[in-house]
Amino acid sequence: MDEFNDNEIARLLRLKRYEQPPPGYFENFLHEFHRRQRDELLRQPLWRICWERAHDFMFRLDVRSLASYPAAVAAVLVCAAVISLKIYQEPQASNVALQSPSALSEAANSDGEWTLASPVATRIFRTQPLRSLDQSAQTHTRGRGIPPRYVLDSVPVSYVSSFRF
Amino acid sequence: MGFSFVAVPLFYAQEPTAITLSQQVKDLFRRMANAVVKIHGVDEHCEIAGTGFFIDPTGTLYTAYTVGGEADNFTIEFNGKKYPARQLLADIRSGTAILKIDAVTPALPIGKSEELEVATPVVSIGYPLDLPKTPSFGMVAGFDRKYLGRYFSTTHLRLNLPTQRGEAGAPLLNMKGEVVGIVVSSLENNSSCYAVPIEVAEKIRSDFVRFGEARHGWVGINVSEAPAPVEGSRAEMTEIMEATPAANSGVKPGDILLQVGRTKVTQPEDVLDASFYITAGDTVPITVVRDGKKLTFNVQAEIHPASERRPLIASPTINRAIPLKLDSEGRRTP
Repeated sequence: MDEFNDNEIARLLRLKRYEQPPPGYFENFLHEFHRRQRDELLRQPLWRICWERAHDFMFRLDVRSLASYPAAVAAVLVCAAVISLKIYQEPQASNVALQSPSALSEAANSDGEWTLASPVATRIFRTQPLRSLDQSAQTHTRGRGIPPRYVLDSVPVSYVSSFRF
Repeated sequence: MGFSFVAVPLFYAQEPTAITLSQQVKDLFRRMANAVVKIHGVDEHCEIAGTGFFIDPTGTLYTAYTVGGEADNFTIEFNGKKYPARQLLADIRSGTAILKIDAVTPALPIGKSEELEVATPVVSIGYPLDLPKTPSFGMVAGFDRKYLGRYFSTTHLRLNLPTQRGEAGAPLLNMKGEVVGIVVSSLENNSSCYAVPIEVAEKIRSDFVRFGEARHGWVGINVSEAPAPVEGSRAEMTEIMEATPAANSGVKPGDILLQVGRTKVTQPEDVLDASFYITAGDTVPITVVRDGKKLTFNVQAEIHPASERRPLIASPTINRAIPLKLDSEGRRTP
């Protein structure tokens, strides 16, 4: 800028006052502008072209204001998937009847007195079977089609309530 | 250097021991598994399945009370065939039952549980769930008289031996292949279990042979802990019940109990094992201390009041009482 002072600039402007573009210049101006713009664009790598187009598109639609909704929906879907997986992976309760040993740990006597008495209702000491043959015959077909109960109780069956002999 | 000289021979010595042990278990399973059978039955709720084992060549088998006690319509899987079985006896006090099939069968030899000690290796063979015959290896963990605050009717063997449902009634074998117990229940996480000593089942079988039923006897004496030991015993007789064999035998409240039969008593808990093997009708010598003097009274046991009702089934031809004196063999009280 130092080599041009105001006088020189004024002189150049006076010289250019009478210059005219060639005929058809303005009619062809827009076409020529687009052609040069495409030439400039094709010199860039493809990824940059895509990026710039996407960038322009996003700004044109103002996607930033809409971006929170899909993110929220995605988060809800992920949580639901995790919870449902956890529920379905829990083991199912066994259908085999077992005596609960925890019941045996109940206090034997509410007065706190030490006793040999059974803390829970226990089986009655007896040596004969519970049912007669007539009664047992009625149950013979009851178990058909059902998996058997594989026997191994969690507590022994034989207890005494006192040191008596 | 000293450590390495010691450690290296130890390492090589352990390896053959483990191989030998494994070989013993394999051999035992191969020899004994044929006498172990799967038992099917029907109880009041559903079909049940457990394990049992033959004890004589005529098809008599032992199992747990929970398998053979309260069910019926028994079927035994043996040698690939199914045999109908009948219940000879079921006894909840011992936790055992005796079944029988009509066939010629192999039989497991009966051992002595009194030879067991803590950490003695043992093997059981059972039918877990719907799986085939399976051996389990473990060791004796203890001899318990009570569990979760309740007293057993007699000492039970606690075993560090993994068990599964379906293995109730499985035989507990020592490393000689003799039955020393019957698996009756599992513990918390199925890594341990309880077994009754085989003598318990043998007592019941002896009763069955003599009387056709289990005959638990008693004499009618209550025992509690004495404030101070006398002659090494803290078992004090606190009550002599009326209208019982003990009432007119001469024993008195305040006597310190020293011996029942051949079983020495040092604390009230010892009465459990001493009394379990009393059979109604037998004469039981009871030794006490009174005023510093040792006295022995012979008392004829009566049938235990809780087992006075007669069995509804099992009416064999052998049903005659053969009274014995209880002075031949002592019972183990670990």
